[in-house]
Amino acid sequence: MRTSVKAMPFIESLHVLAAATVFGTVFIVDLRLLGFPDTRRPVTLISREMLRLTWAAFCVAVLAGVLMFAANAHTYYANTAFRLKMLSLLGAGLNMAIFQGVTYRTVSAWDRNVPTPLAGRVAGALSILLWLTVIFFARWIGFTKGYDFSIPQDSHINFQF
Amino acid sequence: MQSFAHWLETTSVSQTVKTVTWVIPLLQSIHIVMIGVVFVSSLMIALRVLGRMRADEPFETVWRRFAPWMWTGLCLMALTGLTLVIGEPVREFTALSFWIKMSLLVLGVTCTALYGRSLRRATLVSPAQFSASAKLASVFIVVLWLTVIFLGRAIAYDREVWGSLSLHA
Repeated sequence: MRTSVKAMPFIESLHVLAAATVFGTVFIVDLRLLGFPDTRRPVTLISREMLRLTWAAFCVAVLAGVLMFAANAHTYYANTAFRLKMLSLLGAGLNMAIFQGVTYRTVSAWDRNVPTPLAGRVAGALSILLWLTVIFFARWIGFTKGYDFSIPQDSHINFQF
Repeated sequence: MQSFAHWLETTSVSQTVKTVTWVIPLLQSIHIVMIGVVFVSSLMIALRVLGRMRADEPFETVWRRFAPWMWTGLCLMALTGLTLVIGEPVREFTALSFWIKMSLLVLGVTCTALYGRSLRRATLVSPAQFSASAKLASVFIVVLWLTVIFLGRAIAYDREVWGSLSLHA
């Protein structure tokens, strides 16, 4: 990865774009759980519409992320910001799994025109908070010493653009 | 521009933004979160015009749901972006990507405002139909935002991306 100088900005942009799209689409679902802008549009409909975009973006983010990780696997693994990011990501995943597995079972009772039960509102708020944390720690990684995206000394690269 | 960048770098505001370790990553994180808000809002509006999202709702409803988030997000991005420029003026002003990004940003905001206004008028007359040019404009704006997002990240890689065209000395 590090030897292809042109690849890094593209891979990183893709990762930022995909992560931002994950946040933006999840945010719409979370806000609906919190009753914003209103409860007229069914939760099931909003989830169905948004989550396909979320998953598509999430797959792109993971793929690009794995490539970035591969370039510096060792230093990423030892990086505190990276570990905290993965922990927050795990938290966001668990929160979603619990919501889907428990709270969402009764969705037909609160699909539209009534407030989401407390557990659903808590899941929505937690989801926003955890994704914000993931993004912050992710950006923080780039500011910690020890990772290296420079080109290995012995590699031969054509600098003609 | 060079001397302005160097002067800006010596100001106390610039020094504070640059030296307090968590300020730049925090501002960049807010900037990225707002990319999510603005890009997805814009995408939702575009997908509505293309008939792929919220086809059951009138365009006006979709616009009113997402446009305020889009404009607020853009304002927050301008604020965090401006602070980042104050913090690292030389890094930004000497990147070709930065200048192209700013030009495309102005184009994107202008296009979105005009597009929103004309579509809201058009849908009042014939609610169900979108012209081919409206659909084309939707795709154009989404592609424009994708380019702006890429150029934002490319600021950190000016020489790698632009080679001899790079403004980096």
